[in-house]
Amino acid sequence: MKQSIKLLLSRDDMTHQRGYWVITNALRDAGIEVVLGGIQTPSAIVETAIQEDVDIIGYRIMQGSPKVLVPLLIEKMKAREIEDIPVMVGGIIPTKDEELIRELGVKEVIHPYTPLNRIVETINKICGMPTEKTEV
Amino acid sequence: MYKKEFLDKLSKATQKYEEEVNQILEELPGAEKERITSSGIPVKPLYTPLDVKDTDYFKDLGFPGEHPFTRGVYPGGYRSRKTNIRQITGLGTAEETNERWKWLISQGVTALAVIGVQPWGYDADDERAIGFTGKDEIVCDSLYDYETLFDGIDIGKFSVHLIAGSAFTLANYFAMAEKKGIPLKELKGSMSNTLKPSKQCLDIIEFCMKNVPNFNAGYLDVRNTREGGCTAAQEVGWGIAMTKTVVDVLVSRGIDVDDFASRITWFVNSGPDFFEEIAKFRCIRRMWSRMFRDDYGAKNPRTLQARMHCQTYAPSLTRAQPFNNLIRSAYYGLSAILGGVQSMHINSFDEPFATPTELSASLSVKTQQIINFETGITSVVDPLGGSYYVESLTDQLEEKAQEIIDDIESRGGSFKAFDLMKNQLRKEAIQLQDNIDSGKMVIVGTNEFVDEQDIQLKALEILQNSADFEAIKEYDPAIRDKQIARLTKVRKERDNAKLEKAMKELSDALNADDENIMPATIEAVKCYMTQGEYARVVAGANKQITKTDEEEFLG
Repeated sequence: MKQSIKLLLSRDDMTHQRGYWVITNALRDAGIEVVLGGIQTPSAIVETAIQEDVDIIGYRIMQGSPKVLVPLLIEKMKAREIEDIPVMVGGIIPTKDEELIRELGVKEVIHPYTPLNRIVETINKICGMPTEKTEV
Repeated sequence: MYKKEFLDKLSKATQKYEEEVNQILEELPGAEKERITSSGIPVKPLYTPLDVKDTDYFKDLGFPGEHPFTRGVYPGGYRSRKTNIRQITGLGTAEETNERWKWLISQGVTALAVIGVQPWGYDADDERAIGFTGKDEIVCDSLYDYETLFDGIDIGKFSVHLIAGSAFTLANYFAMAEKKGIPLKELKGSMSNTLKPSKQCLDIIEFCMKNVPNFNAGYLDVRNTREGGCTAAQEVGWGIAMTKTVVDVLVSRGIDVDDFASRITWFVNSGPDFFEEIAKFRCIRRMWSRMFRDDYGAKNPRTLQARMHCQTYAPSLTRAQPFNNLIRSAYYGLSAILGGVQSMHINSFDEPFATPTELSASLSVKTQQIINFETGITSVVDPLGGSYYVESLTDQLEEKAQEIIDDIESRGGSFKAFDLMKNQLRKEAIQLQDNIDSGKMVIVGTNEFVDEQDIQLKALEILQNSADFEAIKEYDPAIRDKQIARLTKVRKERDNAKLEKAMKELSDALNADDENIMPATIEAVKCYMTQGEYARVVAGANKQITKTDEEEFLG
């Protein structure tokens, strides 16, 4: 079994980074290796995910449209044959968009105020890591 | 302010009171024993004249419209002029935003702000724009879009704020105004040209100082930094420290402080800590006036006036029980009015879901109108001035902010201390999240007083599914095609030979040592240079006019 989870954390735009950094910090504290993608287009996310051989992708969307960007990401993942890497999406995600992107295979959608330990637990679960109680 | 005899008597009485009250609180289960503000200031159950015994009325408070402006920048306060009701707008192409502006004007906004005019660096037909074009912001590729945006809008009556710090954006605004027949000498407005050591920022300030004297060209964005997680004291301290550093650079360029500092405006937050926020606005005015008068010898009274645009705090807006956001934001707005800001955006209740609709944006306007016209709150200037509590908070916040400023100054100013500020910001954000996750900080409906049925959310869903108006904004990806059609028309109809020449001249100006970039930028945008073309000229120049946005954004 893998020793630890490697997660790529990318975001869609340059403004309002509080959630991005708070989550980064919490994941690292929980022993997850975070690759900081920064601001990336779906194509760039896919290339980084391949180069870094990550176990899971976290995509924060705020200014962009989830119902456009997520299908694009999944299309690019399929083209590069990495569609088995699980994807989590967080940010400002309208309810209707959430339904759509879950149907497309997004494993989890994180909204503002999701407690950090729950985010960690979800990642552990998705990546098949033991669900020990995580203190954040 | 008080006689010694009185203070001695009061001191004894207060001690007795505090012992009593502490005992009550100690014995009572569930009583609030401790409370600290966002900035770490302990809050007592009661304040008395003892807390303001050292206040010198004329030195520390004075009259509104006079140094140190603690009580307000204008003598008549809101009696002479109410706050500008200025709701940030930006959606779809220039046509959709123009339509929304006209609608907001019909609802009673008194000023305008547009988001999305900060160039992305690429045009709507660029692959990188997919999923963004006209989503949370307007898309403005060229002067053609600016002309559409401002069509039928009286910019003499409604002051416009451009949410951008770019020479390209400003040049388009100038070119648009000229087409409307408004000379630069008379043109009003403001922009988010956040004070920083870049050539672009300083060139804009210098150009406006000489050619567009009524335009507020300098900007202090501490509002988004607060969103990033900092405290009220950091909001004040970092704002003042950043100003000092830029003023020092401009003064070293041989510019008189009175010639530009009066055109710097503050962008501030107003959040949950009600009284600390009120104290913050008062504290900003006092520290600003003292800094310019005492440290820089400013003589123009306008230089000493810290004028503020406020946007209410957004991170506390929730998806659960969404209508609570209306109530939250109304209180935040109330704080800002009690604190004496000049202009305000009250967040809409649906912002955790999507871009505001006509319905939600209208409720933000109405919230301000109710404060301004129904409550009588605006009839007295600085109505909380003299409150033992608010005055004490104002003093303590000033002390804390001063410590922050001194620390930054000792490290060579805010440019050099930028990474330090960034690290401190992240630390505060983590602390805030811990407080929320642990329930120490209550968010009604989210980590406390949760309603499993969430009747409010149900009501919103019913509106969304059955109303004959838009209840939650949905992004239409076809906006991109519409904008590409507009862009294609521009590229086809403009004089491309003339544009090429103008872009060459802009490139030369960017490479020159002592040339302001504004005149050549204005000429090039008049030839309908697009934002993508502008970005390529800037990238091709030898000299860097700005750092990347990533490096510069503190939020």
